[in-house]
Amino acid sequence: MMKDCIDKRYKCVLQWLKKLIDKQIDQREETKGAGIEAVEKTPKKPYRFTIKAHIYVGFVVTFILALGIGASMLLTMVKMEKGLQLSEFANNFYASVSQARSFEKDYFLYGSGIKESKQVIKKLEKQVITHYGELKKHIDYENSIGLLEKYVKLLENMEELDRVKNGFDQLDKAQRKERLQKELKQCGSMLINSAEKLLSKGSDATERLIIHFRTVHLYALVFLIFFMLFISHLLGKRVLRAINLFSKYSTLMANGQYTTIMSDHNYNDEFSDLSMAIDYLIKELDRQQQILAQSQKLRAVGTLTSGIAHELNNPINNITLTAHMLLEDYSDLSDEERIDMVRDLTDEAGRARNIVRNLLDFARESETIMEPICIGGVLRDTLKLTGNQIKLAGVNVDLKIAPNLPRIHGDRHQLEQVFLNLLLNALDVTRKGGHLKIHVGPSEEPNFVSVKVIDYGTGIPDHILHHIFDPFFTTKSKGKGTGLGLSVSQGIIAKHGGQITVDTKVNRGTTFTVKLPITTIPADLAKCSEGVNLSIAT
Amino acid sequence: MNLKILLLDDEPIVGKRLKPAIIKLGCDVEVFDNPAKALKRIDEEAFDIVVTDIRMDEIDGLEVLEHVMNKSVRTKVIMITGYAMMELARQAMEKGAFDFIAKPFKPDDLRNVIIKAAETLGVRLKEQG
Repeated sequence: MMKDCIDKRYKCVLQWLKKLIDKQIDQREETKGAGIEAVEKTPKKPYRFTIKAHIYVGFVVTFILALGIGASMLLTMVKMEKGLQLSEFANNFYASVSQARSFEKDYFLYGSGIKESKQVIKKLEKQVITHYGELKKHIDYENSIGLLEKYVKLLENMEELDRVKNGFDQLDKAQRKERLQKELKQCGSMLINSAEKLLSKGSDATERLIIHFRTVHLYALVFLIFFMLFISHLLGKRVLRAINLFSKYSTLMANGQYTTIMSDHNYNDEFSDLSMAIDYLIKELDRQQQILAQSQKLRAVGTLTSGIAHELNNPINNITLTAHMLLEDYSDLSDEERIDMVRDLTDEAGRARNIVRNLLDFARESETIMEPICIGGVLRDTLKLTGNQIKLAGVNVDLKIAPNLPRIHGDRHQLEQVFLNLLLNALDVTRKGGHLKIHVGPSEEPNFVSVKVIDYGTGIPDHILHHIFDPFFTTKSKGKGTGLGLSVSQGIIAKHGGQITVDTKVNRGTTFTVKLPITTIPADLAKCSEGVNLSIAT
Repeated sequence: MNLKILLLDDEPIVGKRLKPAIIKLGCDVEVFDNPAKALKRIDEEAFDIVVTDIRMDEIDGLEVLEHVMNKSVRTKVIMITGYAMMELARQAMEKGAFDFIAKPFKPDDLRNVIIKAAETLGVRLKEQG
């Protein structure tokens, strides 16, 4: 292949370009085919090719090309100069020969001028000898010199003939003169011929050079333009692709899906640095979100605590009464009665422990465990947790869970937190004796289940509606709400790939709908069979 | 004649344990853990003292109080309240409750309140050892 390259360079360049394009296509297919594996690969890229380097390389290559074109232009110009010199010389040659011949004519007509003619030709001969290098290529040099010398010799012979006055008879002299004249004429016309040939050759060469100059530079210019377009296209594509990637990931982030940015090329550049910085930012955001969620959770626990404290009173009261009576009547009681009382004590202690454990389970800072779960179960646990709150508020709650719901993929505790927030909000706006409804069923959107928490409270006015998911926005009085509940809930649901929507009418009530995608892992497709129709009335 | 006392709390253990404690005061005690049944019994019989929990699932302690007050103003009603329910306790006092006692309490706490109530009824109760 290298041998091919040497004699046909453009072939070589084409082959190199083809290889480059093939390589790019291969890379893209590779990354497409191994999408998941690529994520698991270490983010370390084998080599670094920055955009700065890209620009530099592009600039340097363009500069070298421009330099080459400039140099070739200079070279052609030098050649043209030489061509012009040749033309000039040819003109000179022609003029000299013509002059010499006109002197020769003068001689034959008027008898004088042979000296001048000889001088002109001798001068020309000198010039021809000094321009030997250039002329050699264009004319039959030896022949020309020979002709010139012959012409001079003939002229000298003629002079000689004139000088000899005696010795020859006039007739012989006239005959010789006539012969010399004939030879001179012949040699002169041959010289003129040669001069004309040189003249035409000179102008031919100049013309050829001009055409050469024009084509070479036109092609070079066109190539340079295309090359620059190609370089800037590559650069533009690269930058645009990175920007598109970032905008794609930022949209995902805005929806709460924090994922590491994976670029689709196998080298490092400024965008890799940027993506690393953004990854760090995301991790930090995620951590802050977790802290926020935890603090909101503890706040919710605070709300629940008053209810829980109330609930705890019953077992504690039972324990107090039983223990005191056992102490008081110990000696009068039969063994059976004593055992009954002690059993009551342990049972009631167990009851108290369960109440506390429920709350602690919820409050605990736990790692995210994504598993296939039945959403209905989560809602029943949430209702259990808020049982006292519901009783205290004196609200009737209807829970309807459709049978045969598909499972969702999610974290039980986080989802509990979301539904707890929605339920406590709904309880807050429901008057005593009012109703709340919770409907769990398939969503209108395929492959989603929806949970609707419906209250018939005051509704949300339009000017507030835009802000309800903003962090720290609250309509509750100071010390009652943190303004984090809905914001945190939205974060959690977005992480599960779902969404929370709200539908409200002032003085009619509000419906919060949580949509969650169902699990698609084949092993987890078993459905949640139980349908539930549960009412908590107070 | 012994004082007639009705004790209503939806936690069965409360009645089970307090019954012998109150009997020791020399009173007749009837214990209920179902408010509806208790109300029915109140309609049938005139009780001197009614002790009722203020928060129960089906019927509110305040309703029991109103019911008793409607039937006989003479009857002393003692409310059992939970933690931090001063608002409810205040409502109960306005509606004519004799006193309230907060959970958790000791048997003696209730007995003392009953003794006070008996005194206002003109009966002197003494704990019988």
